[in-house]
Amino acid sequence: MKRTSEFAFLKKLLLIVVLVLLPVTALAEVPWKWQTSLRIDKVGDSMYMPSAVSFNPESQTYYVIDTGRNRLVSFGRDGKVLKAFTANKKLKAPFDMVRLANGRLWVVEKGRNSLTLIDVAAKKITPHTLHDGESLVFPDRIAVAGGKLYILDRASGQVLRLADDLSIEQRFGCKDCSAGLTDFVIDGKSVLAIETIEKRIYRFALDGKVMAEYKLGDEADFPVSLDVGPSGSIYVLDRHLNEVLAYSENGQYRYSFLGTGQAAGNVYFARQLRFDPWGQLCVVDEGNGRVEIYGR
Amino acid sequence: MLLSRSIRAVLTLSVTLSLLLAAPGIAKASIDCFQCHDRDAFQKKVKHEPASAGECLTCHSPHAARFGGLLQQEVKDLCYSCHADAAEQQNQGVVHLPVKQGKCLGCHNPHSSDQKALLKDKLANTCFSCHKELQKKYKHTHPPYAKGQCDSCHRPHQSANDNLLVTDSDSLCLSCHQRDAVQKKHPNFPEKLGKCGSCHSPHGSDRPAMIRNVLHAAYADDCSNCHEGKGVPVPIDTCLGCHPDVSEQMASSHNHLLHYGENGCVACHSPHAGDDERLLKGKERHVCGKCHEATFKRLETAKHSHPMEGDCNDCHSPHGSNHPAMAKGPVNDVCNKCHGKHGMFTHPIGENVFDPRTGQMMTCISCHATKGSDYPYHTRFSGKKDLCVQCHATY
Repeated sequence: MKRTSEFAFLKKLLLIVVLVLLPVTALAEVPWKWQTSLRIDKVGDSMYMPSAVSFNPESQTYYVIDTGRNRLVSFGRDGKVLKAFTANKKLKAPFDMVRLANGRLWVVEKGRNSLTLIDVAAKKITPHTLHDGESLVFPDRIAVAGGKLYILDRASGQVLRLADDLSIEQRFGCKDCSAGLTDFVIDGKSVLAIETIEKRIYRFALDGKVMAEYKLGDEADFPVSLDVGPSGSIYVLDRHLNEVLAYSENGQYRYSFLGTGQAAGNVYFARQLRFDPWGQLCVVDEGNGRVEIYGR
Repeated sequence: MLLSRSIRAVLTLSVTLSLLLAAPGIAKASIDCFQCHDRDAFQKKVKHEPASAGECLTCHSPHAARFGGLLQQEVKDLCYSCHADAAEQQNQGVVHLPVKQGKCLGCHNPHSSDQKALLKDKLANTCFSCHKELQKKYKHTHPPYAKGQCDSCHRPHQSANDNLLVTDSDSLCLSCHQRDAVQKKHPNFPEKLGKCGSCHSPHGSDRPAMIRNVLHAAYADDCSNCHEGKGVPVPIDTCLGCHPDVSEQMASSHNHLLHYGENGCVACHSPHAGDDERLLKGKERHVCGKCHEATFKRLETAKHSHPMEGDCNDCHSPHGSNHPAMAKGPVNDVCNKCHGKHGMFTHPIGENVFDPRTGQMMTCISCHATKGSDYPYHTRFSGKKDLCVQCHATY
C-alpha cells in the first residue's frame, strides 16, 4: 500500500516537472514573440517587395520603403497606416532611407542610381549621382550618425562616410572578402557590417580599421542583414533560411528563430533586420509584403 | 515452476536447432543466387569484393525488401556502410551531383566491371553519359580530353576546387605547361601568369591554341577599347557604357551589381572570350552556384523539385529585376510561359485573388516551392489537406 502511494507521488512529481520545464525550455528557444505586422490590407494596394524600414522616434512612426510600388509608407506604432508618399510619383525604385532631424529625407533610389534629398515641406526633390574618383558609386544601404551620412556602395562593396558635400571622407571595406559588404549599421563608435558570401561580420573603428572579424558557421546560409540588439547581441537575418540568427557580441552563435512561410512567425525572402527605437525587432518580409515586428 | 522450466528448455532447444539448421541455408543462399542470375555478369575483370565472394546477402535481402533491387538499405547508405571515406567526402567542398544525390550506381557497377573502379563504361563514356553538352571532339582538342583522361584534371566525387579540379586551375595548367614556355608565348601579359581559362577552353575549341570560340567584340577589335593602360583596372562603368540594356537592368531594386575585384561584371563573365555569346565563365550551374550553392543543393536534394531542364535565366533575370527572386517578370507570367495550360484549371490566382495570410496577390509560389519540397508537385505542404487549410482554416 505504501509502495503504491510512493509510486503515485513520484508520478505526480514527474508530471509537475514536465509541465513546468517544457514551456520554460520552449521559451528559451523562442525568446521573441510576434507583436504586429506593418502591412496594407487593401485589395490591389498591398505593399510589393518592401526593402527597408526606418524610424522617427519623436513621432513614434515607422517608414517602410515600398520599393515595388515606388513609395514610402508611414505607420503608427499600433501598425495603422498613416500616409503613403510617392513624391508626386517621381520616386524610382526607392530602396532605403534615413530621416534627418530637420525632417528632410535621404532616399536611395536604385531606379536612377541616386542618393536623393527630399524636402517634404518644400516639395523639393534633389537627386545626386555619386562618384568615387573616376568610378560611379551605386548606393545601396544608408545610415546617419553624428551628423554624417554613411552609404554602402554595391560596386566597391564598401561602406562610405560622406562629407557634407557628398564627397567620400572615409572608407570601410574588407580587403580579402570576395563579394563585398552587403549591409551595415552604426553601433556606437563603430561600424558593424556583414559579408554574405563568405558569411563574415566585420566591426570597423570610425577611422576605417578593422577592429574585429567574426566568421559565421554552418548555421548561416545567406546572411544579408544585421543589427545590434539592446543587450549588445548581434542579430543576423538569413534570407534563404528565413531565420534570424542570434550571436553574442563576440560573434558566438546562440540560437535562431523564425522560418519560411506566410503565416505569422514566418517570413519569405526577408530582406532587412533592424531594431526600432523601442527595442523591438523589425524584419522586412519582402516576399510577404510586410514588416514583422517582434518583442520579448 | 517445473512446467515453466520444461517450456524454457523446449524453447531453447527449438531456437538452437533452428539456427543450426538455418546456418547452412544462409551460407548457401549466395551460391544459390547464381542458379538464376548469370554468374559471368559478376565475374568481370574488376570485381566488387562482396559480390565476387558470393556474399550477396551483404547487400540484398533474398525474399522481400523496401528498396529497389531487393537492397537492404538505400544505395548510398549501403555503399557508405563500407566506404566510410566516401561518406565523409560528400559534405566537403564541391561535390559531384550524383554523389550529392546518392546515385552511386550512376557511374559504378555494384557487382563487377571491365573498367577500373567498377565504372559502368570507359571513364570518358561514363562522364559523357551525363555531360551531353560537351563536344567529344573539337577542331583543336586538349590531348588529355581527346584521350578520355577526364581524371587528369577532375576528381570524380568531391574536390576543394571549382569544377571538381584536382587542384586550383592555375596550378593545374602549369603542372603540364612549363611556366617559362607559357611566359614566352604571352610576352605582353600584363600580370602574373594565370586565369588561363579566361581565354582558353580546357577541353578544346575551333580556334588555334584552344582560344574559346566566341570573342568579346571589344577584345577582338582592340584592347584599348576597355584598357586604358597596363595594370589600369577596367571599371564597371566601362562595361555598362557599352551595354545600356544591362545598365537598365542593374537599376532594379534587386540586381547582381556585385563587388568582385575592380569590376563586378567579371564575377560571371569572361571579359575576353567565352563559349557562347554571353561569355559566361562556365555553365550556369557553376557560375550561379558560386554564390548560390546552397540553393542548388536544396533543389538537387529535395524529394520533389522543379525539373532542371533549362537554365537559371529561363525564369530569372540575371542582371536585375523589380520582381521577387529576380524573376523575369511577375511570378505568374514567368510560370505561365511553360505551364500555360495550368491556368485553365488552377486554384484562382492573379490580381483579384489575395492570400489571407499576407494580403498579397495569390501566385503560383503561394502553393508551390520552386526549389523543392517533400511533396508531389513540390507543394509547400501536403496536397491532401495541409496545403488547403493554410488559408481555408474551416475546410
